[in-house]
Amino acid sequence: MAAVVQTRALTKRYGRARGVEDLDLEVAPGTIFGFLGPNGAGKSTTIRTLLDFQRPTSGEARVFGLDSRRDSVAIHRRVGYLPGELTLYDRLTGREHVRLLAGPRRAASPAVVDALVERFGVELDRPVRDLSKGNRQKVGLVLAFMHEPELLVLDEPTSGLDPLMQDEFLRLLRETAAEGRTVLLSSHSLDEVQRVADRVSLIRDGRLVVTATIAELQAQVPRSVALSFESPVAPGEFAGLPGVTDVVADGDRALTLSVTGPVDPVVKAAARHTTVEITAQPADLETLFLRYYRGPDGGGGDGR
Amino acid sequence: MGGDLARVDLRMRRRSTVAYAVGLALYTLVVVVLYPAFKDATSLDETINQSPGLAALFGVSGSITSPDGWMNANLYANFLPLIVLMLTIGYGAAALAGEEEAGRIDLVLALPLSRRAILLQKAAVLLVLDVVVVVPTVLAVFAGRAFEIDLAAGPVLTCTLGVVLLGAAFGVLALAIGGGTGQRGGAIGITAALAAAAYLLSSLAPQVPALKSWRPLSPFYWSVGNGQLSAGLGWDGLAVLVALCAAALVAAVIVFDRHDVRA
Repeated sequence: MAAVVQTRALTKRYGRARGVEDLDLEVAPGTIFGFLGPNGAGKSTTIRTLLDFQRPTSGEARVFGLDSRRDSVAIHRRVGYLPGELTLYDRLTGREHVRLLAGPRRAASPAVVDALVERFGVELDRPVRDLSKGNRQKVGLVLAFMHEPELLVLDEPTSGLDPLMQDEFLRLLRETAAEGRTVLLSSHSLDEVQRVADRVSLIRDGRLVVTATIAELQAQVPRSVALSFESPVAPGEFAGLPGVTDVVADGDRALTLSVTGPVDPVVKAAARHTTVEITAQPADLETLFLRYYRGPDGGGGDGR
Repeated sequence: MGGDLARVDLRMRRRSTVAYAVGLALYTLVVVVLYPAFKDATSLDETINQSPGLAALFGVSGSITSPDGWMNANLYANFLPLIVLMLTIGYGAAALAGEEEAGRIDLVLALPLSRRAILLQKAAVLLVLDVVVVVPTVLAVFAGRAFEIDLAAGPVLTCTLGVVLLGAAFGVLALAIGGGTGQRGGAIGITAALAAAAYLLSSLAPQVPALKSWRPLSPFYWSVGNGQLSAGLGWDGLAVLVALCAAALVAAVIVFDRHDVRA
């Protein structure tokens, strides 16, 4: 299946300031793609280039197989966009935004609008200036979803939403993907992305650091496995097993291992003894991401 | 067509534009009502004859006690273009650069509209505001017939058209600078400075021999600076002003299409 979003060596520089460098992204149809990175890493720059708000310095971006620059109007017709920093017309109500920004070329579906209003408790009839940040964000969600676009480009969509609404919103994203539509979800929150995304790209200093499924990432993270036995066991028996990076003995009958990847070799080795207890901590992606965020090179800044 | 975009802008400016238009018309009414009290004040004309340089600063030349001289000196040579330019330059700078600075332009750029279509809608709004703001004033000028301001309708209308085109040319220039840079303050500053220079060139040139031959460079000369209120706009003036508007519009389309709109 052709990718819905595809960039090749996409580069955007602002004079000497950093933008994004050599970005290769691919988002498959019907999936939720998590675009993760610290603030200022280049997430919004990438999105703004995809939507032709800015032009690439080099490389190319394609959406639905169309050129981001030449075919931007055709692309926009099929995209719903929620800006990272949403600013609305203060004096207009949400409903007026819906009417004026829908326009005859991209009609809003009243049923979709009503369903969203119901579901998120959107206040469409008060001027936007009277709404809290969260309620404005909800108006932005309606504007992004109202015409049932094939691709949703959401830049930090849950900012300002309370936890209940965040949950509801993530559910909406899953339903959207289940209908075969595609979501590009930019976020700095690992937790959020982890809960819905099929694939994740991590960007740091304008460069992609890693692209993988959540499961693949989890497989990279060492997990801590604690074993206790009825009789003494030599730590050396476990130290050489595939995936085991660290063995700590607690007395002569208990061990704590760091295991990356499948735990099968550990389980098989443990089975040779009378094992009293096995506890395993789930892989902690947070640790992995913090490591990626900080960078492997310990701060060699070439990402200009 | 997506003319909804224009509707948003018109709606957002409805109140301030009506205020401008009514204020300008009220001022004009005061000017025409006062005319009978001044029409025999020959000492005013003498003062102008004695210090033509000072009078030129206000765009005034010749007699100001005649009906056309009076309306020219009090309205068409200075106050009317000033107010119209404030409105058009203000909107021109706000329409793209102001929206970009406010962060609101993202929602508009994400619509299935080309940059050119967006820009043309903004230019259309500018022209509408530009026309709307002078209409009550023209009515007030014609109301002057009750106060011995018996100007011919043709020159009044074409000279007003000259002011509208003058406003459009500078307004679209502000739109172009704002659309190309994303900076509202810069767009206002540069355009207003150019307009001020053009005004001074047109009004002072008759008094400064060195400047005389440069006078046709000023758009003011082609709209209000050359007796248009008495003689009408003239085809040459119309052509120059329309060409300026068109040139500014083409420039605006090109630079806005190339502009990187940053977050």
